[in-house]
Formats: sequence, C-alpha cells, structure tokens
Amino acid sequence: MDKLLRNKKAIILFVAPAFILFTVVLFVPIITSFYYALCDYDKATRSYNFIGLGNFQKMLRDPTMRIALKNSMFFLVFSCVSQLIMGLLLAGLLTNIKKGRNLFKNVIYMPCVLSSAALGLLWAFLFHAKVGINNLLANMGIIERAAKGPAWLYSITGFITLPMWVVAFVALWQYVGQSMMLYMAQISGISKSLYEASYIDGATKAKAFRYITLPLIKPMVGTAMSLNAIGSLKFFDLIYSMLGDKTENLKMDVLATYLYRTGFSSKGGNHYGYASAIGVVLVVLCLLATAIINRIFKTENYEM
Amino acid sequence: MTANKKKAKPSTILIYVFFIFMMVIYIAPVLWIAMTSVKTRTNIYKDPFGWPESFHFENYVTAWTKGKLGIAMLNSLFVCVITLILTMLLGSMAAFAIARLRWKLANAFMVYILIGMMIPVHCVLIPLFVRFANIGLSNSLIGLILPYLTFSLPTCVYIMTGFFRSMPNELIESACIDGCSIYKIFFSIALPLARTGLFVTGLMSFIANWNELLLALVFISNDLKKTLPVALTKFVTPYQSNYDLMFPAIMIAIIPTIVVYTCFSNQIVDGLTTGAVKG
Repeated sequence: MDKLLRNKKAIILFVAPAFILFTVVLFVPIITSFYYALCDYDKATRSYNFIGLGNFQKMLRDPTMRIALKNSMFFLVFSCVSQLIMGLLLAGLLTNIKKGRNLFKNVIYMPCVLSSAALGLLWAFLFHAKVGINNLLANMGIIERAAKGPAWLYSITGFITLPMWVVAFVALWQYVGQSMMLYMAQISGISKSLYEASYIDGATKAKAFRYITLPLIKPMVGTAMSLNAIGSLKFFDLIYSMLGDKTENLKMDVLATYLYRTGFSSKGGNHYGYASAIGVVLVVLCLLATAIINRIFKTENYEM
Repeated sequence: MTANKKKAKPSTILIYVFFIFMMVIYIAPVLWIAMTSVKTRTNIYKDPFGWPESFHFENYVTAWTKGKLGIAMLNSLFVCVITLILTMLLGSMAAFAIARLRWKLANAFMVYILIGMMIPVHCVLIPLFVRFANIGLSNSLIGLILPYLTFSLPTCVYIMTGFFRSMPNELIESACIDGCSIYKIFFSIALPLARTGLFVTGLMSFIANWNELLLALVFISNDLKKTLPVALTKFVTPYQSNYDLMFPAIMIAIIPTIVVYTCFSNQIVDGLTTGAVKG
C-alpha cells in the first residue's frame, strides 16, 4: 500500500497539470507584472524601457490616481463597516427565528450569485435622474418634479461624491448576503448551553449577544472583513456597468477601473507599464488590508 | 389564529416585519425587471413603475437578435462548461495527491495553490493579455478558459482536499489489497465518494465564470466571441440607451443563474461559505 501511494509517476501525473497551469497563468505573469511596473511601454516599437520607479513617481503627481485611491479607500472603509453592521444584524436576527429562516437567508444571498453587470444596468436605470427613483418620489409628492430631484449618478460635488455613495449602497445590497452567511455559520456553531447558562444567571437576549455571541464570532469578523476588503479593492463589475466610460468625467474612478482605462480603453489606453504599476499598488493594498485586519481581530480560540 | 396556540412575542413579530421588508427590497427589483422587460420604450419613460400598458414579448426576440445574445449565450456556456469540467478534473486530481498520496512537497504545493486565491486577477491582466496576444490567444475562447480555470482551481483544491482527507483509510487499503491501481482507486472509489464536493465546486466555478466581466472585457473584442456579461454592457452607450431591449437582455442573463440558484441554493450557500472561509 505504501508503495502504491508513493508511486512517483502517479504523483507527477496527478499534480503536474495544476502545477503547470498555476505557474504559467499565475506566477510568471505576477513576476512579469512587477517588472512591467518598472517599465514604460512604447506603443510604436512595442518595447518596454526600464525606467525604475518612474511610474510610481508619476502616480504621486497624477490627480486621477489620487481620486481613484480616495474612492477605493472610501469604498474599502464603507464596505467593511456597513457589511459588518448589516451582516451581524441580519445574522443575529435570523438565528433568532425558526420559520422561514432558510427562505430569508436564500433570498438575501441571491444577488451574490447574479451577474453584477446585469444588476448594475438595472440600478443605473433606477438611479437615472429623470425616469428612475426620482419619478417615484415625484409621484409620491416628496419632490416637485422628477427632473428636480437629486442627480444620483451625475453629481460631482463633495469630497465623496453622491454617485460613489449610490454605488456603495448598491454593492452593500448585493453582497451583504455573503457576510450574513459567514456570521450565521459561526453563530450556529456556538453551543446552546452557553446561552442557557446565561439566561439562568438572568442575562437578557441583548446581553447574551453582547457578552457571548460577539466575543465568540470575533475570528469570523476578521475573515469576513478581509474578504470585504479584498472584494472592495478589486471592485470593478458593478461600477463599470453602472457608469461605463463616464467614470473619468464624473471623477468616479476606482483603482480597478483606472487600471482598466489606462491599460485597455480605446482612447489613451495601452500604457501597460503604468497600468501594471496600478496593479502592484492594488496587490500591496490587498495584502496590507488583510494584514491589518488580521492584526486587529487576532484572538486566541475559545472552546465552544 | 386559534386561542390555544402560543402567542407570538412582539419582538418576534418585529423581526418578521423587518425580514418581510428585506424580502421586498431583494425581490422587487427582479420582479420589476420582468415587468419592465415587456413594455415599449415610451411606456418605460412615461410610467417606469406602473403595470405595462400592453405586453410586448417580442422585445425578447429583438434583444436576442439585435444584441447578438444567442451567440453570447453559447460562448458563455462553452467557456463555463469546459472550465467547470476541467476544474473538477484537475482540481480533484491535485487534491487527491495532496490529501492521500505520500510525497514531501504536498504541503508546499497546497500553499502554492492557496496563495493563488489571494491574488486579484487585475494583477495578472496585463502580462496575460500581452502574452496571449503574442501567441494568438487573444479574441479566442481558449484564452478565456485558461485564466478562468486557474482562478477556479484553488477553491476546488481546497474543498476537495477536505473531502479526500475525511475518507476512511480502510477503503483505500482494501482496494490496495484487491490489487487496484492508484488510478482506479482515484477514479472509481475516491471520486464517486466525493461527488458532493465535486458538485459544489462545479456549481461555484460555473457561477463565478458565468458572471465574470473584467477578463472577458479585456481579452475579447470580436463580437462573435463575446460572453454574456460583455454583451450586456453594450446595451447602454453614451449615445443611446435601448431600455426596451436592455431589460429583456438583463432577464435573459439572470434567468439561468436564478434557476440554478433556486434548485441548489442550499448547496451553493454552503459551498460558497466554506470556499470563502479558507482565505
């Protein structure tokens, strides 16, 4: 038996396809990407000229990059905080009811599996200045005429512009199911006897939540939050399908859309070097965010 | 309600009211897309939230032909199904080697694969695009399948490793005594036993790739090779908004996922949760 399981030929046969694929499609490109980030791509000669940290220096002076960073950071903080609050609230309430729990859970999770591209089109229409929600508000008499309502997706005033808030809330709507599921899985793993003991000692439900549930799900908060952080830094589909090519004029770029535009858009694209540098910033931010969150929520494991 | 039934607590009622409100927020948009998809363009502009004046199911036909959704749907199906099959096969092979075969580098290999889970696709976008353009894989569905497969593999390997590890040792031992080859053990004993895991990973890879936009947008510019999400984004351009066609198109894009999700929601929810936790 041992001989069978140590069969070198079989091991290579089993592992090689995945290993080769990973190396060729993931690891070599990552290293190439770090190299490209230090280069300037010349469209005419299709060559990469090594310019050291030039791209990163350019970044410091680039106003669009500043906007993209600001928006991505806003997005990161907003989604971490809002998903934590809403996810915990939904999970806490759902574990308290019996009938319909599965139905509610599955419905709230549903948008997570639907195409962001499709849902983005829907929300872009609903927040259209003339025909969407403004129309509904006008019918209810909250605003005078549809055209006079807030220009949801076209306002460019303020530090964090209104469209950014709209997109952030839509993202919360779409992805809160994920956090809810993670918290629910963790909460249902807590032993019932802990709660019973606390009720005997005279604790209220709210107190039990504060002193039993919260500390015990702390590790999961870390996991869910790092997922949110990475997800919000990678955020592309929804914003692209809601705003399309308008991100630049509306100062709505996030890192991913700016990377896409510098690398591939029809006008002014093909700056592969600069786009790779943005990619490097993105990866570094992802790692940094995960590290910080894990630091904050690092806990010893309780016996459950 | 009958008198002898236990009276519901007010707090429970409040919770139910809250969740019914949430249901409305989650279901209403989808129902509203369905309703709007059969309206005429003027009807949409005049009364976006009302009941349709008349039902125009031909919108679907127009959207299907004008938006080239037929070919996009076929492309999406092709890419997703091939990726799904390859993910399940290659992923479970690698997972079996990690969980059951005895070699020194098994753990190192697992770490190598799992690192792939933390890398955002944006980071490899440009090198991959340049490389694929050089070897003629841009604008080809194979060029899309390769990265999709690579990014679906880590979750599959992770979940399947768990399944293979939990398998009783005796099963494999007795198969050995019966003189089975390692390949036969894998294909006719281990794989069938882990079919729940296979099913879950297959579903997840299918859903993720069915919705993937960024890679498809970058790699494919030929109309005949576009996948469904890319075709969808072409319905609204700065110069025209074909809302009467956009809504049927949205419906066409989300109905398959909704059907799959309704049938297998419990498996999907479980799978995505376990798949997410490892990160």
